[in-house]
Amino acid sequence: MKTLMRYLMSLQVIVLCIVLFAPIAWMILASFKNRTEITKYPPELFFTPTLENYQHLFTRTDFLENTLNSFYVAGGSTVLGLLLALPAAYAISWHRMTWPATLTLFARMAPGTLFLLPWFIMFSNLGLSGTHAALIITHAVITLPIALWTMLPHFDGLPRELTESAQIDGCSSLKILILIALPIVMPGLIVAIILSFIFSWNYFLFALALSGISSKTAIVASFNFIGEGVTNWGALMAAATVIALPPIILTFLIQRKLVAGLSFGAVKG
Amino acid sequence: MKAQRAASLHGLMLPAVIFVVLMVIFPFGYAFWLSLQDYRIGQAVKFIGIGNYTALIQDEQFWNGIKLTFILYITALILQLILGVGLGMLLHRVQLMRGLVRTVMVSPFMLPPVVIGMMSIVILDPGMGVANYLLKAANLPTSLFLASTDYVIYTIVLIDTWQWTPFVALIVLGGLQSLPTKIYEAAAIDGATGWREFIYITLPLLGPTILTAAVLRSVDLLRFFDVIYITTQGGPGYASSTLNIYAYRKAFEFTDIGYAAALMITLSTIVFGVVLVFSQFRKKVTW
Repeated sequence: MKTLMRYLMSLQVIVLCIVLFAPIAWMILASFKNRTEITKYPPELFFTPTLENYQHLFTRTDFLENTLNSFYVAGGSTVLGLLLALPAAYAISWHRMTWPATLTLFARMAPGTLFLLPWFIMFSNLGLSGTHAALIITHAVITLPIALWTMLPHFDGLPRELTESAQIDGCSSLKILILIALPIVMPGLIVAIILSFIFSWNYFLFALALSGISSKTAIVASFNFIGEGVTNWGALMAAATVIALPPIILTFLIQRKLVAGLSFGAVKG
Repeated sequence: MKAQRAASLHGLMLPAVIFVVLMVIFPFGYAFWLSLQDYRIGQAVKFIGIGNYTALIQDEQFWNGIKLTFILYITALILQLILGVGLGMLLHRVQLMRGLVRTVMVSPFMLPPVVIGMMSIVILDPGMGVANYLLKAANLPTSLFLASTDYVIYTIVLIDTWQWTPFVALIVLGGLQSLPTKIYEAAAIDGATGWREFIYITLPLLGPTILTAAVLRSVDLLRFFDVIYITTQGGPGYASSTLNIYAYRKAFEFTDIGYAAALMITLSTIVFGVVLVFSQFRKKVTW
């Protein structure tokens, strides 16, 4: 009876995994189908795979440039977010202060559309409309709270004596942070970097409204493919597969720490 | 010496605080100021006080947006919490291929929303999509899904539930793993099993964990934008124009900036209000 129960539960888990993964598998499969096969009815599971969708995507559209833009924006905002968040997290943790951390949660809770209109006007006045810089700065609004809240518990775990003795030797706070604290919290730092990158990479709204032709990200370019008249499903699925790759690969590296990082300190890893 | 160090530590906080004030707090105030103006592209800006807010109350699409926002929020939240707790408990008991199962579980919610949207469009296409093919094969009624005025919002609930239930489940799993096993041993001696054990022991102990998941999902669901906009742009008609989508359309399709700002301020107030209610509730269940 007990083993039967165990089998049934394992079976449930397998079925659930299939339900969760089937749409993703379907997307990847479809990206390797040719024009006639992809709209074939009834749909087929077995077919001769082709790379023509990927070829189309990278040779006949600006998708390569868009993907590079995505890397610049996600990379830039990750660096900017960390430069702001690391010293702040260190200081907040040392002082056991909560208000600056709570302040960043405001950015997490407010609807993104709220910021669009003021930003739009601000960036126009600064002459930054449609630039990579504008996207990097706005995406740092996403990466800063993520990096800050991921780093807080790691800095909280630092032994206070360690930094106090360095301070007696006359080191500045910034120097202590870089030379002593950071090497110890490296595992946390890696999680913060990866989460920041993924969330900036995935983010849709700010780039939708604020990117220009030369700074258009792969995410927004893919969205535009949907609207372009006769939708080319194969290219669409190829684009989706390409932009899904970086988050999937990066997630794989930190899956254990993921949920703790996403819950803003509410869940322990 | 000590004061000097404190000062230099505060200095470390300064760049982040300045950034948040410039990019978050100031724009929030600016948006509020915009909401008090009659501000349309190509027209002189005029201060009209609460004029935009009184116009909201008479706007049929505003109430439609409120209705859709809450239908989406409440049905998706309840579904995801129930399924998430169930799935979390299942994962807690089954040891099968932990690593692989975890990878599959995190995939949906780490994918870019635009990927979720594109996938949904292709799979749920009324004519050529595989979803209707499978429904037909199983002798079930087919659906227009995202193209249906009546069902589009529930289709979005379904997509979001597919994407985020695993997240809730993993939070619940974390909570379950931190529960003391002694309580269960004592309960077993007292004869508590199955449902009784679940309702009288597991659920109350999991209260704070479930509440955490509920708050995180609430914030995302109330201001849900990306997958809706990607799949339907708020349509057909206004059938999936939740408050957030409606505000965006007002701003970027109809360039009625002041009115859109009033919508966004209203939505922000709703989000903060819900979080505040949850945080009051949280004080009661945490011990």
